Amino acid sequence: MGEPVLLTYLHEPDQGELQAYSARGGYEGLRRALSMSPEAVTDEVDKSGLRGRGGAGFATGRKWKFIPKDPAVTKYVVVNADEGEPGTFKDRTLLEGDPHRLIEGIVIASYAVGAHLAFIYLRREFYHAREMLERALAQAAAAGMVGRNAAGSGFDLSIVLATGAGAYIAGEETALLESLEGRRAMPRLKPPYYPAVKGLYTQPTVVNNVETLCHVAWILAKGYEWYRQQGPPILISVSGHVARPGVYEVPLGTTIRQVIDRAGGMRSGRKFKACFPGGSSSAILPAAYLDTPMDYDALAKLDVYGSMLGSGALIAMDDTTCMVEVVARTVEFYRDESCGKCTPCREGTMWLGQALHRMLGGKGRVEDLPLLEGIARGMTGTCFCPLGESVPPAIYSTLRFFRHEYEHHAKTGTCDVRVMA
Amino acid sequence: MTDGNAETRERGNAAGLSEGAKSEIRRLMAQFPQRQSALLGALFVAQNEVGFLTPDALADIAAVMGLPTSEVTSVASFYHLLFFRPGGRHVVQVCTNLSCMLNGCGRILDHLRRQLGVEVGETTSDGAFTLKTAECLAACESAPAMLVGTERFGPLTPGMVDEVLSRYRRATRSMT
Amino acid sequence: MSQFPLTVTLTIDGKAFSVPKGTTIYHAAAQAGIEIPIFCYHDRMPPLGACRMCLVKVDKMPKLQTSCTLEAAEGMAVSTTTPDVRAGQEAILEFLLINHPLDCPICDKGGECPLQDQTYAYGPGRSRFIEAKRDFAKPVSLGRVLVLDRERCILCWRCVRFGELVAGDDALKGFERGFHTEVNAPFTLPVESKFIGNTIAICPVGALTAKTYRFAARPWDNQTVPSVCTLCGVGCAVEFDVRGGAITRTRAREQPAINDIWLCDLGFFGHNYVHHSERLRTPLIRRDGGLVEATWDEALDAVARRLRAASPSRVAMLGGARLTNEDAYVAGRFFRSVIGTNHLDHRTDAPPDGASLQAPWGMASSIAEVGDADAIVLAGCDITEEYPIIWLRMKRAVDRGAAIIAITPKALEIGRFIAHHLVHRYGSGAQVVSALMEAASGASPAAAETGGIPREAISAAGARLAHAARPLILIGRGALDAPDGAKIYAVLRDLAARFHAPVNVMRGKGNAFGAHLAGLLPHAGPGGRPLGEVRHDLESLWGATVADGAGLNAPGMIEAAGQGRLDVLYVAAADPATDVPDRARWNEARTRLPLLVVQDAFLTQTAQVADIVLPALVAPEKDGTVSNIEGRIQRLHAAVPGPGQSRGDWGIFAALAARMGKVIAYSGWEEIFEEMRTLIPGLALDARVSLNGVGDRVSGVGTEPSPAAQPLIPDPGPPDDPDYPLILIIGDVLFDRGAMTSRSPAIADLAGEPWALFHPEDASRCGIAEGDATVVRSRRGSVAVRAKLSSAVLPGQVFLPRGYDGAPANALVDLSEPVTHVQAAALAPVAGGSEGRGEEGAR
Ligand SMILES: Cc1cc2nc3c(=O)[nH]c(=O)nc-3n(C[C@H](O)[C@H](O)[C@H](O)COP(=O)(O)O)c2cc1C
Ligand code: SF4
Ligand code: FES
Repeated sequence: MGEPVLLTYLHEPDQGELQAYSARGGYEGLRRALSMSPEAVTDEVDKSGLRGRGGAGFATGRKWKFIPKDPAVTKYVVVNADEGEPGTFKDRTLLEGDPHRLIEGIVIASYAVGAHLAFIYLRREFYHAREMLERALAQAAAAGMVGRNAAGSGFDLSIVLATGAGAYIAGEETALLESLEGRRAMPRLKPPYYPAVKGLYTQPTVVNNVETLCHVAWILAKGYEWYRQQGPPILISVSGHVARPGVYEVPLGTTIRQVIDRAGGMRSGRKFKACFPGGSSSAILPAAYLDTPMDYDALAKLDVYGSMLGSGALIAMDDTTCMVEVVARTVEFYRDESCGKCTPCREGTMWLGQALHRMLGGKGRVEDLPLLEGIARGMTGTCFCPLGESVPPAIYSTLRFFRHEYEHHAKTGTCDVRVMA
Repeated sequence: MTDGNAETRERGNAAGLSEGAKSEIRRLMAQFPQRQSALLGALFVAQNEVGFLTPDALADIAAVMGLPTSEVTSVASFYHLLFFRPGGRHVVQVCTNLSCMLNGCGRILDHLRRQLGVEVGETTSDGAFTLKTAECLAACESAPAMLVGTERFGPLTPGMVDEVLSRYRRATRSMT
Repeated sequence: MSQFPLTVTLTIDGKAFSVPKGTTIYHAAAQAGIEIPIFCYHDRMPPLGACRMCLVKVDKMPKLQTSCTLEAAEGMAVSTTTPDVRAGQEAILEFLLINHPLDCPICDKGGECPLQDQTYAYGPGRSRFIEAKRDFAKPVSLGRVLVLDRERCILCWRCVRFGELVAGDDALKGFERGFHTEVNAPFTLPVESKFIGNTIAICPVGALTAKTYRFAARPWDNQTVPSVCTLCGVGCAVEFDVRGGAITRTRAREQPAINDIWLCDLGFFGHNYVHHSERLRTPLIRRDGGLVEATWDEALDAVARRLRAASPSRVAMLGGARLTNEDAYVAGRFFRSVIGTNHLDHRTDAPPDGASLQAPWGMASSIAEVGDADAIVLAGCDITEEYPIIWLRMKRAVDRGAAIIAITPKALEIGRFIAHHLVHRYGSGAQVVSALMEAASGASPAAAETGGIPREAISAAGARLAHAARPLILIGRGALDAPDGAKIYAVLRDLAARFHAPVNVMRGKGNAFGAHLAGLLPHAGPGGRPLGEVRHDLESLWGATVADGAGLNAPGMIEAAGQGRLDVLYVAAADPATDVPDRARWNEARTRLPLLVVQDAFLTQTAQVADIVLPALVAPEKDGTVSNIEGRIQRLHAAVPGPGQSRGDWGIFAALAARMGKVIAYSGWEEIFEEMRTLIPGLALDARVSLNGVGDRVSGVGTEPSPAAQPLIPDPGPPDDPDYPLILIIGDVLFDRGAMTSRSPAIADLAGEPWALFHPEDASRCGIAEGDATVVRSRRGSVAVRAKLSSAVLPGQVFLPRGYDGAPANALVDLSEPVTHVQAAALAPVAGGSEGRGEEGAR
């Protein structure tokens, strides 16, 4: 297990100040990058094995390579700081605790792909992060790290900070671009309009997550070999019924059990019952899967539909938890955050919400189990974007692992979990 | 979760923007290669000035930005932090998503309902607080969590809620 | 790109075939005769992929794919009927139906509803949905013509995207999100659109319906008659649905060259005048000061007697845009050969010295070409008000990167799409186009004045124009009839010659082009051929002598009548009282005129003061042909019979000829058309008879010999008369209240009360607020209007629309002055609200 990387200085109260940041080796990655060719920077990121930390896990170096090299083509870098996946809070933690790291990562990414304008799309509710970022941006500009002739390299980059207005779907990269263009955050058609082909203002655009770009700053500062030796590291947001919820940095492939242990185990006297390993968009896993490594492939390869590492949000639930209630709340979230563009997501989430609500209200029927399964089936593979597709995994996995809870609700109109706990 | 925007959109209201707000919107427009990118920012400028999005304010934004009023209104109605009806001076947003639910946000919400004497979506009679629920605030390490205005609190206990409310009440009183 | 194959081969349901690269699976399947259900996809808009109805299975792709968005690729294997495809489609339909009210029996869309049809074809058959359906207040009214039922809406976004992508009016929008999403107008206010009828046409369910058609008929009761809309000059292809001898609705007919599949709202909702109770049913003869009913025999005898008695040179005819090509041709034959006069004209609304009489009306380009232009100069032409469908082409050109350069005395509503919007003081358009010409040709600025427009703005426009590969010039009435219109036209023609741009003279409503083509002109005969040239052909065809020498043009006739030099003025399908530029001159002419005959469908302002009135048919009642502004010949089919004893126009002329002992006999419109074909090269159904080359010449075929290019009239400058401080601008609007429009209730409502547009500064100086009852007064007369405030007009100018019979703009005009100056004041409200309306010009 390597040393902490991303979280190294997060406990330092002055880490958001340029001086302190620089004194701790900040902006060295940037200087190094600017002394290399853009292709070499991309290669370095490619070799580090870094995969996007926004949820989809796409290889960052490869993504950058899609951007056309032609200097006549205007390109943009857009930072996805809209962190909204339930249970995920690592980006906010990084923004509040180490804002210069993100700025450093942005300049490096922009240099690598030849962008001269970058945007940070920040979740509106992140007021404290905004203060920190605004201050850091001003400092970085004053120190010549961004702006004309960044760090004396001859490379120009402006960074514009924009905020959202309350919409989870704006975290989806094409919806984010719509929102950044001042429209309703409705996802764009993909294919053929991937951001790298036709992104912001129809120009080639790199969209990267906050954590991803922080990794980039570290990779360029320390070199990809060192970085790989650290795990490579990822941040996991651990919450729910654990003793010490928080952001933990672990080497990729640490098991769910180990991560929960890092977070102090389950809260006192309680037994683990289930967890979302990768935010509420992933399937719910019971105790039998505790030894699964938290790794892109291991989670995706499980025999549970929709299991994934996602944004690394581990929500642990103990034996007092009613799974029907958890699923109902999850469905409600997607229902309220659905953009309404496509039929299955808009109608399916509403129908599921109504049926689950009815069941929790004591009016469930045995036919509701196949009904829930059927509605989920109708949404599976038919939605316009991944938001709608995020709903079936929770339904399928709980119908499979916790079917008796649904049956109990349907037959008795009451919850047996509370009684048991 | 509806916040009743639709009904107010239908009723309408009147109050436009000051010159200061308009020039702030023009400043935002200058930041972007395309002016419509400043729309969300402009809507918050209007909301902060007028309190909520009135038809006149929306028409003013449209005029300053050279956009159809219909587009401005349509965009605004998509986002949950933009309001078409008046609210209290402080918006209390209680996270009710999974981690907070698992950590008892229901109790906190009940406590707030009682203390403020309002239901979710309503504003206290003195106009001080509007109570709302929120989706995951990305504060799950301190669940149950809430935002009051721009300040985040958690993990909440009923006692802590009382403390925060009285602090905001005092601040409001000393302001007026 | 040539290394890539231009076609790809794929299999659909096991059958292999090739399609051009870029074809979507949906279209590829359609070409193979395989129908895939759709809702959101519409072939006039890019794919959206929202409804998810069109799912198909593609080999090696794990998920079902939307066929409307997926492009065919080499070797792709597609199935449209496998069990998983069926399951997917069933699921989508089930989702769409759970919140649909299923009120088909009382829905106007019933019987022609894709949702209904597809539910039969692909639906799950029974419902598992036991929860409460989403409920919305319904139906809601969104203005005069549109009704919205949000519960029926399946959120396909077609209507919203039509407004955004096709019309550019953003009338309907999506509001809220998720399952609260609704289509609506902001704050449920009436939609602001000239094209909203199209959204009703493309809505796949009964969510958007027409107030004018609510519960009027079921589709299977309707009989559909193809025809042409003649309400403006574009000539959109329409079909009338007819039930029980009455038109129940108008729909667009696909005509790629003109309207594609769209119509404007005047076309959609403007047909009701046809069945209005005030249609003329019998001839009328003035007796003891009043018009009384008469028989056709009495009326025709009376007209024939007076015509016989009059000297041919003292008989004149004004023909109008309501005539078909055949009507206009027979009218020409009657007056030239039976009466022996060449005082024929259809340009009733042209001012005496303006460029409207010099320029050949009509388009040199085709309508379709407008969509391909890369720079469009719009001089004095309010395209959405005058030729709305052509705007849709311009919008397309703009979407493809074209720049519009608009030189207008009032800002246009499409301002958002205009790259260079040069709004100038009225009367200084020539300065602007001259400066534009200089800028475009790189000359150093010589013109001292630029009509109040910053020179940089003109330079930028000029630079853009200089780089255009396919520029196009449109000149409209707002420029042609301006005091400096002749100069504007001359400069634009120079500009056109320099940049190889066609000049399109956007002039003439209804079948004006047809009247031109048929020869209702004082100096030219059929085909616009000069009289001297065409006379012998006419004489041999008609077996009669045709008078020599050019006759009086329209303003000349009015002037002659005013001087007592005319005995008979015969007006067919025209309304000079409202159309002539100066109403006082008309009134004077009328008083001095011994006989005024009016042949029309309503008691127009002119007919009200006629001596004999003959009831005529209107376009939907006629067979024959019409020509649109680009010279395209289309077929009218009589959809309904005319009321009472009303008759077709050419038949009336033939009957009059008979009374005068001459024979004008045709078996039907076809024979007339065939005769016209012998005279007019290129005349054929659905073909364009272009005025090819005419736009490049001042004199010659089809145009009047022009007086020497007029000197540039100096900028009227600040008015010298402090009592009348405002400059009056008059313009056409799409929705007005004329003889026909005021009798189409939907259009009359859309038009509203007469209005005038003031700049807010002027308004506050005159003590006028938005909506105030206001009187606008010139030295000549006054009209009562509602004030509208907008900075679309420049300070010091006021805009008054034409076409409101209740507030005739021409009552204010004195043609002896280049510009009309007016004053304005709010009227004290009068109980009952009819404050002083009907006040008209001094007689
Ligand atoms: C519904 C939805 C919500 C998303 N929300 C976020 C988010 O809040 N933050 C984020 O970085 N990525 C989010 N993503 C992922 C983005 O679409 C995108 O993959 C990511 O920003 C790319 O950055 P990365 O390659 O650095 O991970 C979301 C995706 C979906 C489908
Ligand atoms: S109103 Fe009709 S056209 Fe518009 S979104 Fe709804 S179903 Fe589609
Ligand atoms: S028709 Fe293809 S998704 Fe709607």
